[in-house]
Amino acid sequence: MQGTCPRHEHVSRRSLLKGTLATASGASVLNWGGLFQSQAIAEAAKRKKKHCILLWLNGGCSQFETFDMKIGRSTGGMFRDISTNLPGARVCELMPAISQRMDKLTVIRSMRTSQIDHPGGIYLMHTGYARAANVRFPEMGAIIAKYCGSPEADLPDFVKISSQGNAGAGFLGPRYQPFSLGRDGNLPPFSTSQLTPEKESRRHSLRDFIEEQFARTHKADPARMHREAYDRARRLQNVRHVFDTDDEWAKYGDKYGNTKFGRRCMIARRLVEEGVSFVEVGQSGYDTHGDNFTGHKSLVPTMDRAWSALLDDLEERGLLQDTLVVWMGEIGRTPRINNRSGRDHYVRSWSTALAGGGVKGGLVYGESDQDGIDVKDNPVTEGDFFGTIYKALGVDPETENYSGVRPVPLAPFGHKVVTDILA
Amino acid sequence: MEINEPTHVWQLSFDGDWPTSVAFLGNGRKIAAGNRQGQIYVWNLPETPPAEDADGEGKEKTKSETPPDFAPIRRLDGHTNGVTGLIATADGKTLISASLDRTVRLWDVEAKPTSTEEVVLDTKRREIAARRKSKEEKEKIIGAPGVQVEVVKSSHRLEGHGEWVKALGLSADGHRLISGDDACWTVVWDLATRKEICRWHGYDRVWVSSAALSPDGKTAFTAEFAGSRSSFDRPAAQAKLWNADDGTMKLDLLKVWTPKVKDKDRIDSYGYAQTWGKLMKRGLVCAAFSPDGKLLAVGQGGETDTGKVHLIDTKTGEIVRTVSGHRYGACDVKFSADGKYILSSGRDTTVRICQVDDGKEVAALGKARGGQFKDWMHGIAISPDQKWVAAADIAGIVHLWQLSPDSTDEAAG
Repeated sequence: MQGTCPRHEHVSRRSLLKGTLATASGASVLNWGGLFQSQAIAEAAKRKKKHCILLWLNGGCSQFETFDMKIGRSTGGMFRDISTNLPGARVCELMPAISQRMDKLTVIRSMRTSQIDHPGGIYLMHTGYARAANVRFPEMGAIIAKYCGSPEADLPDFVKISSQGNAGAGFLGPRYQPFSLGRDGNLPPFSTSQLTPEKESRRHSLRDFIEEQFARTHKADPARMHREAYDRARRLQNVRHVFDTDDEWAKYGDKYGNTKFGRRCMIARRLVEEGVSFVEVGQSGYDTHGDNFTGHKSLVPTMDRAWSALLDDLEERGLLQDTLVVWMGEIGRTPRINNRSGRDHYVRSWSTALAGGGVKGGLVYGESDQDGIDVKDNPVTEGDFFGTIYKALGVDPETENYSGVRPVPLAPFGHKVVTDILA
Repeated sequence: MEINEPTHVWQLSFDGDWPTSVAFLGNGRKIAAGNRQGQIYVWNLPETPPAEDADGEGKEKTKSETPPDFAPIRRLDGHTNGVTGLIATADGKTLISASLDRTVRLWDVEAKPTSTEEVVLDTKRREIAARRKSKEEKEKIIGAPGVQVEVVKSSHRLEGHGEWVKALGLSADGHRLISGDDACWTVVWDLATRKEICRWHGYDRVWVSSAALSPDGKTAFTAEFAGSRSSFDRPAAQAKLWNADDGTMKLDLLKVWTPKVKDKDRIDSYGYAQTWGKLMKRGLVCAAFSPDGKLLAVGQGGETDTGKVHLIDTKTGEIVRTVSGHRYGACDVKFSADGKYILSSGRDTTVRICQVDDGKEVAALGKARGGQFKDWMHGIAISPDQKWVAAADIAGIVHLWQLSPDSTDEAAG
């Protein structure tokens, strides 16, 4: 797959020097800086200025109540399907807005993944890997932050808004750890200084002095990371206004549906507009073992409106072509409806969706069988899915980072990029 | 109502999707039931159950055996999505149904059928009967002909809703009908003219989860509820009494129940949800006025620890008593005609009968069935002569209990 390496992925003289210097400084020993292959790819990816927004449906949204309805079958449930602006494709009646934006979406109806419980599924669908005792895999957000982010930027590269990932930056280290906003998308309380600017400045000067003294005798990475973390926190103060979204919400609240999830989506768009490479937005409550239908009826319309507004907003601002919007949860839900009017966990056949930069729009990929029990055509594993996302963002999924001395590709060994859905 | 060792007399097979609702049509022999596929069947039961077992093998019926099955005579065609409620007029001639297909339909139960069709509603029973039989016998049992049913189309369709209609009620005088939908619209109808008397829109973005009319049709009750819209904002549930002539609010019950909460704090918030959640749990999903109109019974539904039934003074709005309790939630509630008993069904596969005066439970019909979470006994109905109770069981069964066996013997004699 790497045999036909495109020009931009070749190691440039500058990146070679940078990589060598980084290695010489010991940064790669713990692999928190990456090796030069990784650095070069990061530089190439950064030049493309790609962004990614992950809409995370925590608990596992039902494929039967969204994109893979089985009307008339015993597994079908209580909702009806509606036509879309993509000829032949039908979606759940709970998604009238998305139904008219199917031309922008690539829906994958043939996900087949390996982790059926929540912690395992959340880890898997954030990292592409199952949990392992000896490797701390990084989340997709950390990887995108590394390869598409800007180290010089004042804003964090990887932002989470009320979301659930449980892996963090893993072996990529604290530099790529997510910066989490509150439930309303506000800055966390700890990010606000209680001191006057003057006192704050004096305190920073003092800390810098002490850190510098310490660094002369302590070359270890943790000390450097500590300094960087403080530096980034200080730089964040320069861009606090980005997180003050009240005025914008007053203007766009209706469009996004006047819900908290809608506001989170609008903030995600704003952050992307300001250069953040990866934003994850969470919506909780999809674990509908009981009352699946009322549960989805209360959640999906909110999501439908916010997601649609996000796509429109990105497009109107010319950002959609460079922003990949990923829609997924950690699991799907069972075809069988249980005696609680609910659906349980299911990973043998379920759905995800992609839109925007790097993928085709107006495509339904894969198919489940008539009852939604198994994948009928074109199964997509977690590895395939992550590989495809990285590829769409201009990052080679076979790029290796090191966990200790072990090379770890961005997408798991054996994955297959689903080239049919790439633009 | 006389309750004296209730007997499980009939167990009618209604295979397919979940039976959700039942209604007696004029007496204790004729019954209609609807399910989540939108099908409605009508059974006309004989005076006494057959002495033989349903499979016709002539075995003596013992107390431990399953009550006999019986085939329906009619299917009422029209709904295209789940039936959520069934109510019959006192004379049993008109059946009213609410549905997820966003309509309320009226049915002339005696109307001339448009056709006949063969249906099989006892697949599960056949599968049980075919166990341990030879291949040939199995095929014979499973593939046996179904029953012929007359097909009747609905006589009228009330189209005032644009969303799922889950709430349905009829005034005891039979003049007014109330229906509520998931767009939070409530409509009061004149049944004779099938015209709207009034309509009102409730709290934004919640669903009308139950509705009822007082016996004279002048007062309406509605409960509103929705699941959480997102992780941390929960739309406030509502419980209100309305003037059914013009749709003006008479009493905000939640304000009566929570006098310490200031109006400014009655907002979509997790904090306020903790307060109303104690009273409403996951919504008041069923409601009924007492025959004298002085009490209102409301059942806590959704999946909750125990779904209780509150008895409310309709004048003051105060909760007079909390009775019964269905593990994991209540589904339906009805008053006996003499106002002495409150009957409720729930997610514990039971119908519970409690005395209104002191809340004491006097009977529990049915038996918990299922794993950790039990099967639901969904809608219930009481026969006009107050001798029979029917319940829709999600396992594809309509149960009929005779409340006092002696009285039937007299009737049969």
